[in-house]
Amino acid sequence: MKSKVLAIAGGLLAATALASAPAKAADVKIGLIGGVSGPIAAMAPAMIDAAQLAFQQVNEQGGILGGDKLVGVVGDSACSPQGGTDAATKAVNIEGVVAIVGPHCSGAVLAAAGSVTIPAGITIVTPSGTSPEITGLKDNDTVFRTVPSDDYQGRALARTLKGMDYNKVAVSYINNDYGTGLANAFKSEFEAQGGEIAGYAAHEDGKASYRSDLAELAKGGADTLVIFDYGDGTGLTILRQALENGFFEKFVGGDGMKSDAPIKELGADNLTTFVASSPVGEKSKSLDMFNEAFKASGGDPSAIFVTTSYDAAFLLALAVEKAGGDKAGVSAALREISNGEGEPIMPGEWKKAKELIAAGTAIDYKGAAGDENFDANGDVPGTYALFKVAGDGFETITEMK
Amino acid sequence: MELIGLANYALFMGIFIGIYALLALGLNIQWGFAGLFNAGIAGFFAVGAYTSAILTSPYAEGRLGGFELPFFVGWIGAMIAAALIAWPIGKICLRFRSDYLAIATIGVAEIIRLVIKSEAELTNSARGITNIPRPYGDLPYVESQMAYLAIVALVLFGAYLLVERQFNAPWGRMMRAIRDNELAARAMGKNVEYRRLEAFIFGSALMGLGGALFAHFNRSITPEAIDPMVATFLVWIMLILGGSGNNRGAILGAAVVWTIWSVSEIATDQLPQEYAVKAKYIRLFLIGLMLQLVLRFRPEGLLPEPLRGGQQSDDASSKS
Repeated sequence: MKSKVLAIAGGLLAATALASAPAKAADVKIGLIGGVSGPIAAMAPAMIDAAQLAFQQVNEQGGILGGDKLVGVVGDSACSPQGGTDAATKAVNIEGVVAIVGPHCSGAVLAAAGSVTIPAGITIVTPSGTSPEITGLKDNDTVFRTVPSDDYQGRALARTLKGMDYNKVAVSYINNDYGTGLANAFKSEFEAQGGEIAGYAAHEDGKASYRSDLAELAKGGADTLVIFDYGDGTGLTILRQALENGFFEKFVGGDGMKSDAPIKELGADNLTTFVASSPVGEKSKSLDMFNEAFKASGGDPSAIFVTTSYDAAFLLALAVEKAGGDKAGVSAALREISNGEGEPIMPGEWKKAKELIAAGTAIDYKGAAGDENFDANGDVPGTYALFKVAGDGFETITEMK
Repeated sequence: MELIGLANYALFMGIFIGIYALLALGLNIQWGFAGLFNAGIAGFFAVGAYTSAILTSPYAEGRLGGFELPFFVGWIGAMIAAALIAWPIGKICLRFRSDYLAIATIGVAEIIRLVIKSEAELTNSARGITNIPRPYGDLPYVESQMAYLAIVALVLFGAYLLVERQFNAPWGRMMRAIRDNELAARAMGKNVEYRRLEAFIFGSALMGLGGALFAHFNRSITPEAIDPMVATFLVWIMLILGGSGNNRGAILGAAVVWTIWSVSEIATDQLPQEYAVKAKYIRLFLIGLMLQLVLRFRPEGLLPEPLRGGQQSDDASSKS
């Protein structure tokens, strides 16, 4: 009996090991590590599809390097450090990827970078890891992101609000890395600009009532409530209860709050004093080109983080081409192809880019989510605007600097 | 190239298996030998990870830290901190039996997680602690993994020897007596509450050590790592599958479950591209299926608890 069970267990192991025969060697592989299972399971598939679209365009327009096929190897980080390191190790060692798009969640990025990709010298570009901690990693210049740090949005929002005569506000933020990062940055910048934070508290996700939290925040005497949360989740509950009970007069949200849910649920009439900041894909030709291509492939271009995912994938493809397929050269090449100087390349213009690279001309990728010019830490500045509710949607009030 | 990659992946798996085996060993002390249903492994894992992170990481603005002590001090600190946290918890909760204790410990782990997520001054809240030093982390990729695996293996081997020795000692027999028949043990004059507390603290310290090893390996620790799925229930599956009450079973369980968990993803990657995303869920299913099969056909686990009475020499068994 005992030996039989051991044999079954051994057989299972052997079967899974055997099934993992390596794929064709001629393919150039880039890892796509995302939170397929886990808390962001609803967002991850669209992000991965957007990245695959970039690879598909590369393959349709002549392939990478000497006409090789570019393949995206999907890995599941489950949004946790355990899953992130596991997926990254497999991508780097088993699949032999030249670079990685992802992981999606900040905790997974930090762990995968610290234990796998930095020691292995593999360049990673995360499309959605927004934690300010990623900025300070000692990464030998191998960790990049195409999404701005939460720090940046928080500071820009604070400056913009101060400029619009909001002087005394209360802040309520969701207790995760997104909310905390935004709120910390907002608070320090708002106070530095001479504003007053009259209430500052985190709240937990998914409670039925936040009235006591709101009452506590309102005690400080602020007339404005700044909410860093998600508009189709807890943020909606907070907004509704604050309105119902008249705790505050004016409301400000971060990009998570710029969602259709509050308008649908609460009505535009009740939201005349509500404004929200959000990254704008800078009404650019690049964005239109991406939207069109993504729609044609059956995707929804307004889904969150799809533009940054696409940019990360296309940038890495360009960098691999530029570096001639050499893993170690990818990070340097990544800086060369998107530093604001050179012939502009739009999303999908692979053939043109490939010819220019072959000719040795400098190129500059203009991404769907922005120019994607990396700073010294591998971060990108975002383009944000402040929106107000108009009709059934949002309209821009002002650009945020 | 291909071979080095495989070897590298094996090294990585070895490290993770070692870390999970420590957690499973800790749980084995609590469940396998003292019969305490601790469903709050993640909490002690987190206490250990964060304690060591705070003790050894360089200074960062806005949180406690900057001590930059050597890693082994951090690891010992992690064990002490986890034990210290376990003491009051055990004092209060161990009066509960089986499933009530499970509910209480889940609650405790959740409290620990929320404290870690919320206390910016202590743990940098949701952003986590980064730049934790890794022993021999300056070596190249492969060598650094090898060195770390050696350390993990050494720690695990040491822990295994100590725990195994303890179980074969009169203490271990007493624990099993308390587990199997509390009234009889009490009638024989054993202080049941005190002994249970001992087992709880001892096991929690090992879990704390596992957490510390994990944080140093990743050079970072964030609250996302203390998710109950990966830090509590996966460990339970490992112990049940390997054989609770058997230390070698706990280690084997960790190896089997982690290998299947990790390697099955490579297998599902062979499916056509359009299933790439959906296929990721197969491994969740596989782990569940395996647990069902083991519970149905082999409830005592792959390596069942040894019948110690017969195996011990007469000399040892007559001492109790």
